[in-house]
Amino acid sequence: MKNQNIHLSTGGLEALQTRFGLRVASRLSEASRELPHDVTERLKASRELALERARLARRAEAATSVQASGSGGAASLTFGGGTGSNWWLKLASALPIIALIAGFMFIERVHTRQQIAAAAEVDAALLADDVPPTAYSDPGFVEFLKVPRD
Amino acid sequence: MASEKELSDFLKNVEKRAFKRTLYAVRDDEAALDIVQDAMIRLAEKYVDRPAAELPLIFQRILSNATMDWFRRQKVRGAIMKNFSDFESAGEDGDFDILETLETQDGSTATESAAENVSRAQILLAIEGQIEQLPTRQREAFLLRYWEELDVAETAAAMGCSEGSVKTHCSRAVHALAKALKAKGIEL
Repeated sequence: MKNQNIHLSTGGLEALQTRFGLRVASRLSEASRELPHDVTERLKASRELALERARLARRAEAATSVQASGSGGAASLTFGGGTGSNWWLKLASALPIIALIAGFMFIERVHTRQQIAAAAEVDAALLADDVPPTAYSDPGFVEFLKVPRD
Repeated sequence: MASEKELSDFLKNVEKRAFKRTLYAVRDDEAALDIVQDAMIRLAEKYVDRPAAELPLIFQRILSNATMDWFRRQKVRGAIMKNFSDFESAGEDGDFDILETLETQDGSTATESAAENVSRAQILLAIEGQIEQLPTRQREAFLLRYWEELDVAETAAAMGCSEGSVKTHCSRAVHALAKALKAKGIEL
């Protein structure tokens, strides 16, 4: 027996293993055909649940593809279609935001200029006006006059 | 894309084997049913757009992963009772020769009387018991290769290992089963 095994080729051994494996598998198949009723019913329920989920997945996929083709068509109508339509669509949706930011910046700049102009006007009026006589009785103003200027 | 009928037929064809295969691993009817259900739902939800020819391999991979996930959850809960790693069976005997079993089955009637004394149901139980005793990876390779009838490359893809590993696992599983069944006087 051992000598026969020594002379057996690798292919022959694999064939023997396969034969044995298939024989065991056929017995296992035999055993699996005799499952208890509750197990087969539960497997049937699982299968039906899986098929229902597959139906839902198919519907969702179909709805997504219809939606995608619909939005693609709308973009085509607006921007002439093609692969660049999505890019134009994104740009168009960003335009209002860009305009809003630019508007805020413009208003802020105008407002700052108005504040500077008003402050300059007040300063100019103060400097151009005569000093009232009562100012000379103010110790602070007298001190200010005494301080040497650069 | 697989049609609804193709998916239904595939699941119907594979569900019992999937249950038994999972049962050999987890040894718990309810857990095995849950795992098979999860695998079916995952296949139906995520791979419904695949051709029908790809379903067997994808399903086996999903089922293997679902079984592994179950073991991981059990391990986390501290309830795992068996060694899930790819160790060899403790009683492996290098002197055993598969030819002794196979050739005896072919040409001799020496073991027939022993087999006649055991009822068919008992033989099936004994075979299933021995299948359960195999190390996890050996059992998985053996069942995918010979029961699910995947080829070596497909089995390797389903198990996430090399083709050489599949051959080694299958060979060891066949030797271990042949030896154990011969010891029980069972011929196939």
